[in-house]
Amino acid sequence: MLGVLRSLTETLRTMARKPVTIQYPTVHRELSERERGYPLLLWDSEIGEPFCVGCHACERACPTECISVIMKDNPLAAEGKSKRRKIVEQFLLDYGRCIRCRICVETCNFSAIAMNNTWDGQEMSRYDRGELVMDLEQLLAKSKAGEITPWVAP
Amino acid sequence: MSALESFFDNVWVDALWRLLAVLGLMVIVVLALTYVERKFIARIQMRLGPMRTGPYGIMQPIADMVKILLKEDLRPASADRIAFELAPFLAFVPVFLTLLALPFTAKWDVRVLDLGLLYFIAVSGLTVLGYVFAGWASDNKYALIGALRTAAQLISYEVPLVLAVLALSMLAGSLNLVDIVEKQGRVPFIVWQPLGFFLFMAAAVSDLSRRPFDVAAAESEVAGGPWIEFSGIRWSILYALTEYTNMFALCVLGSLIFLGGWDWPLGLKWGWWWQLALIFTKTSVLILVVMWVNATFPRIRVDQLMSLCWKLLLPLAFVQIFLNGLILVYGWPDWTFLLTSGLGLAAAGYIIYSVIPIGAPSRIVARSNA
Repeated sequence: MLGVLRSLTETLRTMARKPVTIQYPTVHRELSERERGYPLLLWDSEIGEPFCVGCHACERACPTECISVIMKDNPLAAEGKSKRRKIVEQFLLDYGRCIRCRICVETCNFSAIAMNNTWDGQEMSRYDRGELVMDLEQLLAKSKAGEITPWVAP
Repeated sequence: MSALESFFDNVWVDALWRLLAVLGLMVIVVLALTYVERKFIARIQMRLGPMRTGPYGIMQPIADMVKILLKEDLRPASADRIAFELAPFLAFVPVFLTLLALPFTAKWDVRVLDLGLLYFIAVSGLTVLGYVFAGWASDNKYALIGALRTAAQLISYEVPLVLAVLALSMLAGSLNLVDIVEKQGRVPFIVWQPLGFFLFMAAAVSDLSRRPFDVAAAESEVAGGPWIEFSGIRWSILYALTEYTNMFALCVLGSLIFLGGWDWPLGLKWGWWWQLALIFTKTSVLILVVMWVNATFPRIRVDQLMSLCWKLLLPLAFVQIFLNGLILVYGWPDWTFLLTSGLGLAAAGYIIYSVIPIGAPSRIVARSNA
């Protein structure tokens, strides 16, 4: 009988607690800084160009071969505004193939690529696979808006 | 005006609108209780419950109803057609009939019967016939086992229910529900009959086949019991409409005969709205207690169910009747009711705790909390 009463009070006490449910599509849980969304490129806001110099290191390291990079001479370096002699011209990343393994982030020599730690890196449903191939502008957009805080593995 | 009054004085018109009112009440009760139960149990389990349809999911029962009405009415090829299609109504009609004899305030009732209490108990026991029909007609072994379990359970638990109510009617000296309410005056019968109340609630929870007594519908054992083959509107009649209305009717009965109905507390004569508010509050409390127990306890085994009924509830019910008779015959003061019944309740608690095997899980809970 004591156990019966005890379990009854237990359920009543549980009732007083805050529900743990999060109303997902309308309310988003806060993501941690090291959340591993799809990779994106970072924007060097001091100079106003991407960190990426188009060195192909990530392209060669990518196990699913979803990255293609084109390099060009940096016009800002010729003007003397930037130390980067080469810069990325086009960067294509197929989110449909990417397995979010983080190898591109590890191999990048310039810390130019990071995992997207916002909800935009999670909700990736599209009606067409072609829309999942991101170009340079799309990959830089989040970082340009200052919404990405790059997280470096300790 | 007189034409209208004479129109409503017609016996048939009078009966018809009363029946329609009860039917409307049933629909409202079912819609409200499905929502309340989902929300209440969700909170106990630290969830939110339905939230999407309307503010706080208040339209969820309407959405459920639309969905159920639009579903296909399936029937197994090997089912007994007539029995299968009539079973939901066989389960539903007795519950409907019980509501006809319940007074909600001093004036608000369909018909007050002199043997209202007897009528209620007798008719509510017929619901099981619908379940047995459903289980047999489905031509499904789980449905049949579930139906047989329902029958066994009801036959067992109807006995302590009747005896608890009988012990109470000894105090009231009447089987008329209005009389019983008015007899209670300033002290509701729960004070004089705590053991009787305990027996009544245990039997009621079992009658509604709710946890911990839901062996008949046990999803993990018989996959939902008698209504496993039903879908759509027939399922909703057989299960939702019957179960929830039955719960409502039993809780109204409990609040009438044990909690003092529309009179207690304070004995204020403020009119029908006050009486209605009192009945509503007491019934809600009892319904929430049933749901609370439902959300708290795990299901007990079939043999434990039977041993609990026949070895504990039934002897205690007889003890209660015997003690009441003794006190009434010798004219001992009222507080002896409380003393003896309270001692009986304590004995029941001790036996559940120590002797009957269903005490075992509760002791495990106690140990893991320590």
